[in-house]
Amino acid sequence: MKIVGSSAGAVAAAGCGQAPERILPYVIPPDNLIPGVASWFSTVCRECPAGCGVIARNREGRVVKLEGNPDHPVNRGALCIRGQAALQGLYNPDRLRGPMRQDASGALKPVKWEEAEKLLVERLTGLVKQGKGKRIVVMSQLESGNLGRLIESWAQALGARRPIFYEPFNYEAIHHASRLVFGRDAIPHYALEEANVILSFGADFLESWLSPVEHARAFTRMHAFKHGKAGTFIHVEPRLSLTAANADEWVRNAPGTEELLALAILKVILNEGLQAPGVDVALLRNVAMPVDLEAAAGQSGVSVETIKHIARTFAKAKPGIAVGGGVAVTSTLAVETQRAIHLLNYAAGNVGRTVRFGPDSAFVKATPHAIVGLLTQLMAQGEIDVLLLIHANPLFALPPKWGFAEALKKVPLLVSFSNQPDETTEQAHLILPDLHSLESWGDFSPREGVVGLMQPTMAPVFDSRAVGDVLLSVGRQVLGSPAGKGPFRWETFAEYLKEQWRGIAREYAPSMPFDQFWEEALRRGGVWKDVATAPVQARSAPVFPIQGKPASVEGDPQGLTLLVYPSQRFYDGRGANKPWLQEAPDTMTQVTWDSWIEVPAEVAKKLGIRQGDLVKVTSPHGAIELPAYVSESLHPGAVAIPIGQGHTAYGRYAKDRGANPLTLLPGGAGLSFLSVKVTLTKTGGRRPLAIAQATHDQDDREIAQHVGLGAARELELRGAVPEKASHPSMYPDLKYPEYRWGMAVDLDACTGCQACVIACKAENNVPVVGKEQVAYGRDMHWLRLERWQEGKPEHPENLFLPMFCQHCEIAPCEPVCPVFAAYHTEEGLNAQIYNRCVGTRYCNNNCPYKVRRFNWWDYSSPASSSYAFPDPLPLQLNPDVTVRQLGVMEKCTMCVQRIVAGKDAARDEKRPVRDGEVQTACQQTCPTQAIAFGNLKDPSSRVAKLSRSPRGYHVLEELGTRPAVTYLKKVTREHGKA
Amino acid sequence: MTDSAGRQPTYADVNRDVIRTLEPPSPAYFGWMAVVALILTAGILAWTWQIYAGMGAAGKRTPQMWAMYITTFVFWIGIGHAGTLISAILYLFRARWRTSIYRGAEAMTVFAVLTAGLFPLIHAGRMWFAYWLLPYPNQRYLWPNFRSPLVWDVFAISTYLTISVVFFCVGLLPDIAAIRDASTGWRKKIYGVLSLGWEGTDRQWRHYRRAYGLFAALATPLVLSVHSVVSWDFAMALVPGWHSTLFAPFFVDGAIFSGFAMVLVLIIPMRYFWNLYAYITDKHLDAMGKLILVTSLVLSYFYLCEAFTAWYSGDHFERASLFWKATKSYAWAFWLQYFCNSLVPLVLFWRRARTHTPTLYVVSILVLIGMWFERFNIIVPGLGHDFYPYTWGIYWPTLTDTMIVIGSFAWFFILFLGFIKVMPSVSIVEVKETLPHPVKEAHH
Amino acid sequence: MAAGGVLGVFAHVDTTVRAIRDLRAQGFTDFTVYSPVPVEEIEAVLEENRPVSPVRLFTLIGGLTGIITGFGLTIWSALKWGLVTGGKPVVSIPPFVIIAFELGILLGGLSTLLAILVLGKLPALRRSPTYDPRFTVDRFGIAVTCGPERAPAAGRCLSQAGAEEVRQ
Repeated sequence: MKIVGSSAGAVAAAGCGQAPERILPYVIPPDNLIPGVASWFSTVCRECPAGCGVIARNREGRVVKLEGNPDHPVNRGALCIRGQAALQGLYNPDRLRGPMRQDASGALKPVKWEEAEKLLVERLTGLVKQGKGKRIVVMSQLESGNLGRLIESWAQALGARRPIFYEPFNYEAIHHASRLVFGRDAIPHYALEEANVILSFGADFLESWLSPVEHARAFTRMHAFKHGKAGTFIHVEPRLSLTAANADEWVRNAPGTEELLALAILKVILNEGLQAPGVDVALLRNVAMPVDLEAAAGQSGVSVETIKHIARTFAKAKPGIAVGGGVAVTSTLAVETQRAIHLLNYAAGNVGRTVRFGPDSAFVKATPHAIVGLLTQLMAQGEIDVLLLIHANPLFALPPKWGFAEALKKVPLLVSFSNQPDETTEQAHLILPDLHSLESWGDFSPREGVVGLMQPTMAPVFDSRAVGDVLLSVGRQVLGSPAGKGPFRWETFAEYLKEQWRGIAREYAPSMPFDQFWEEALRRGGVWKDVATAPVQARSAPVFPIQGKPASVEGDPQGLTLLVYPSQRFYDGRGANKPWLQEAPDTMTQVTWDSWIEVPAEVAKKLGIRQGDLVKVTSPHGAIELPAYVSESLHPGAVAIPIGQGHTAYGRYAKDRGANPLTLLPGGAGLSFLSVKVTLTKTGGRRPLAIAQATHDQDDREIAQHVGLGAARELELRGAVPEKASHPSMYPDLKYPEYRWGMAVDLDACTGCQACVIACKAENNVPVVGKEQVAYGRDMHWLRLERWQEGKPEHPENLFLPMFCQHCEIAPCEPVCPVFAAYHTEEGLNAQIYNRCVGTRYCNNNCPYKVRRFNWWDYSSPASSSYAFPDPLPLQLNPDVTVRQLGVMEKCTMCVQRIVAGKDAARDEKRPVRDGEVQTACQQTCPTQAIAFGNLKDPSSRVAKLSRSPRGYHVLEELGTRPAVTYLKKVTREHGKA
Repeated sequence: MTDSAGRQPTYADVNRDVIRTLEPPSPAYFGWMAVVALILTAGILAWTWQIYAGMGAAGKRTPQMWAMYITTFVFWIGIGHAGTLISAILYLFRARWRTSIYRGAEAMTVFAVLTAGLFPLIHAGRMWFAYWLLPYPNQRYLWPNFRSPLVWDVFAISTYLTISVVFFCVGLLPDIAAIRDASTGWRKKIYGVLSLGWEGTDRQWRHYRRAYGLFAALATPLVLSVHSVVSWDFAMALVPGWHSTLFAPFFVDGAIFSGFAMVLVLIIPMRYFWNLYAYITDKHLDAMGKLILVTSLVLSYFYLCEAFTAWYSGDHFERASLFWKATKSYAWAFWLQYFCNSLVPLVLFWRRARTHTPTLYVVSILVLIGMWFERFNIIVPGLGHDFYPYTWGIYWPTLTDTMIVIGSFAWFFILFLGFIKVMPSVSIVEVKETLPHPVKEAHH
Repeated sequence: MAAGGVLGVFAHVDTTVRAIRDLRAQGFTDFTVYSPVPVEEIEAVLEENRPVSPVRLFTLIGGLTGIITGFGLTIWSALKWGLVTGGKPVVSIPPFVIIAFELGILLGGLSTLLAILVLGKLPALRRSPTYDPRFTVDRFGIAVTCGPERAPAAGRCLSQAGAEEVRQ
């Protein structure tokens, strides 16, 4: 554990030395870095451009847990699965240890920072002197804050080309459409929470679209059953995505017919005069009338009745909201589709209410793919001498057909600032590893009116330097400007940042003295304000031609349309090097550690493909092999492959796992995930998928229960039903002197996002076991997210249920333990004493919920071959939780370490623990607040109230185990059974 | 009892014939020993690997937290029942035919229990802490949980082992004395010590006879309790197919059933190789056959009860579990069990089958297989399809646990083979007792 | 051969029994009977004026001790820790009965073994002078302990009863 020492020391230095005015913790100032007491630093999550605020829990100089920043307007304290896993980017075993350069043999060798910088400086100076600045390009991930600004001014000062802010998912179609329809080149803010009806055209807003955490929260607020009211969500997509599974009505359309449907719906609205008053009907008629409903129905496979019903529901919502995303809007009709969706919103009078220009999304700053295409050409033509890559991995994220790899060979000097050995970085001549975002200064503005401030939450784990610092010093040297002068007068990026923030201070808090403002901003994790909605008008002219036909796809006309979609776990692939994300099951398929091709059951039957058979997928542009996942629900004309796996580099966890579907896509100007048809051939090989859930059929066991909206309303009116005749016991009821801890989970709020699963893994040091073990039912998740389905397999009702130890009052696991390793505490917890366990495993046999986890292998000792925490991952381990050893049983403790901390705090103030004071990790991170935890003895506590809800029930109640966890039935919409 | 010539053996004959079995063994014997020892070594290596690498080396998983180890454990405990049953219960019933087979049966019992006793250790995730199940005083007041069926096991099995051993040794005492008097040199010394200086005086005999009766009286409830307790490992659990009051008698009967089968498997070769036809006669085989038949019929009745209650209870979990066992992945094992335990023994209705050694032998082997699978079917498929569909799964044995299970058989046979060459495997004294006493005047 | 003893070796049960009767008739009370197997007839004559063997007393005491220990241990240790499992009371008698039962049997059995050893004067380090190896095969023996003056009488009595062999 050398690293612990060094880094702890380092942060102690950081904490004491430079800290007081530079790094400020969220709650306690860092100069009192007390062992055993956590300091919290607020910063911004950079796992995707959504820009959620996070607070990092720093223990003895190392960050051990991330939580959402409760004050942050984007995520309000929640984090998604990827945000939780950011720590494994920070502590990734394969992270680059320091700067490297390619030697003559082409192998990467470590170098000194000075040497590395010198190399770069010489090359740049040469070019700048010769006035060949245009031969320099910076390609960065989207940086909407001051790093972005620095990069731009840096490029300017060197006379380089305009930097490229590359995001594989840049939603450019939306702002193009906005420009066309409203003359405003912007991605509006979608206020889902204020809509009564959401009509989504493939927008996976609960998974990756724009800002998933914010959307999930907003969605629950409009959709979850509350006081007899609940919003409606209609989702149009060929594939049953996680978002689709959350819809009250999932409409399965033929791939690429979204525009057609949108226009058809618009037409119905106009025909029935349902449009909002004051809209430009003429304009709308121009667009919608040419569409033939019958034809649209025929091509999209959505009946005219459904179209009409959708139109009515949507238009009558007042307000509703229509959104488009996912593969729907990356087809050849991407812009047209978004345009039609804009018009729908316009027609229904949602623009300005739920669709707000003004607080525009930062995605608009991402460079359009066309420009990336141009750059590729320039490179290919040898126009580029120096390419600087900042956290961009085009070699993975662009289809090979773009020829980026070939073009790259023409670039004499490729400099990568990435700190992970990804595909592009492996090609780099020079690697200057940037700090991880959790070690960096910076800021990020996800949308107008929100600026998140980033500060180092711990000292660097490895010998990396902030890219900002490097740019400044390199810039200075290239321009030969003396220290403190010139465009790069700042010694460090931190100084630059602080100075830039004086401007932000003037904007946000003109009256406040800057130092106070700065401190405040560091504490709160940024600044934010309300931005007024900008009024927009639909342009009457020019009348844009409407397509009125499905998006065109190339390839074998007999083939199946390929749907390539963003992965909820890996986003564009940058998550794939994090073992937590690899082992967290994909909620819909429950597949772990691999990628797959979703094949419609009909097709599979025809081709004789069984689950796990290796299938060769051939498109006009390439071919890949993937194991098949046979799907009852997928549109029979399509196959689907998630993006994110198939890395050829990027560390031990990502390398050579699955296949990259982008290989199948065409090159050219735009990046379109729906543009080819593919053909499938059985290779004869097999690669069984590691699927965590044995079956999605509850076999009438009523594990996840639901109730119709009408019935739910009735229950609500009748109020809490009297306690069901609980199972008689020979014994007197247990007494709980102070507390009885319990939980309540609202299945109507749970969207199955898996964030809780990873939060639990991070908080409780749960080991990662690998594909084979998961496949053989030996996964260690304390909390698992189950998907149950009912009804027609091709169009099922989906129920998501987080299952963990139910802490039964009459726990079957306890009396069978021969050594009292399992027993009941007087606070109602079902305790498990690891040190006492001899591993008879009787408890898990007797656990009806099968939530106990056994250490089959030695995950905790570095000597073991199954060691789960290669360096520096141990730095992440929560010091408050034991790392369990070989041969013992473990399980959910309701985060007992947090309960203890909470009680200590309360005792210091001589008071009982307040409701909501202690939060379990899963509850804390839940974007939809589906989980409540607290003291059941206090009738006013949230958990007690929810437990008394008329929708409440216990899983397998008939066994009389009296769980401390109450589930609230999901509320289904009658018309949801489409 | 008569020998092949139809002549009744005299007291002296008995001594001679029995002590003859202890003559230095043949090369064939050593050959067998070598084979068994080899298998045992493999088993020990497998166990060592498992201790080093962890339980993962055995094919267990969620939901089959238990699998072949507990199966084999229960199997051996079951085998361990016949001995005490024959020596104790048949003794109380004064069934004279028991005398010539009870010694072998008792040895089998002791060794079977010794084998079974290994499995709780093999099976524990941290076997190096298994001693925590014993109630031993310690400064932290850490005591076992006496509510746990596993602790009941510890008590039941250790008691059973102790009593069986004592019973066994007490029975041996006069025989050892006889061997002592028949042997010379160092052997005489060793047997002399082991015989505790038994002389067969009237005072020794009268206390001995009393004590023996009391042992039988104690052992009888014990033998019934042990397998009941073992059955409660399952009956006390919630698992569908386990949680049943039927289990105690069901297990005890199964135990006796398999126990007798094992006795036959052991004594038939003994009688053949040592030509003990004068002592182990067809009458004995016939009686054993009848007992196997009866216990088999009782067992079949329990099988029916099991299925009936599962269905009649209307309990969804019970029904689903039974249906799954009978029709899905493990159906082959399920029906094999019925074939071996309910169908095959029916041939013993024919007297000729009961005395025809090959038939009897095959039946016994099949019964043993069937009984192993009965326990397998309770544990592996039972757990495989329990309450929670999310974790349902199929168990696959690994080389490690397979070797350990096979090794346990080797362990048993190495003990038994060793025993028959150093101790009389037919009771000298009790066989004599069943012969008419030597008298001078016939008219007396 | 030790002074004050006569040994008669018999081949048959009936002769042995007769010898015992005759000896008694002549007032010999202190003699030991050897037999390869326990024989009803012999025991019958010997038991005529003897109390029942006290072995069962050992068993009873042992068994009771076991039962008491069983309940004592379980209840005491349960109270010592007072842990609740599965909502059952800390002192749950039904399962404790099993422990008590098993311990009862265990100690009962062991004390019975003790009885054999103690009452049977076992282990005996060396053979008694009157012992003969044939007694574990097919011969019965009666060893009469008496003063030298009565030895001849005893011897005579034994051989008349039908002893194959009589030793001083």
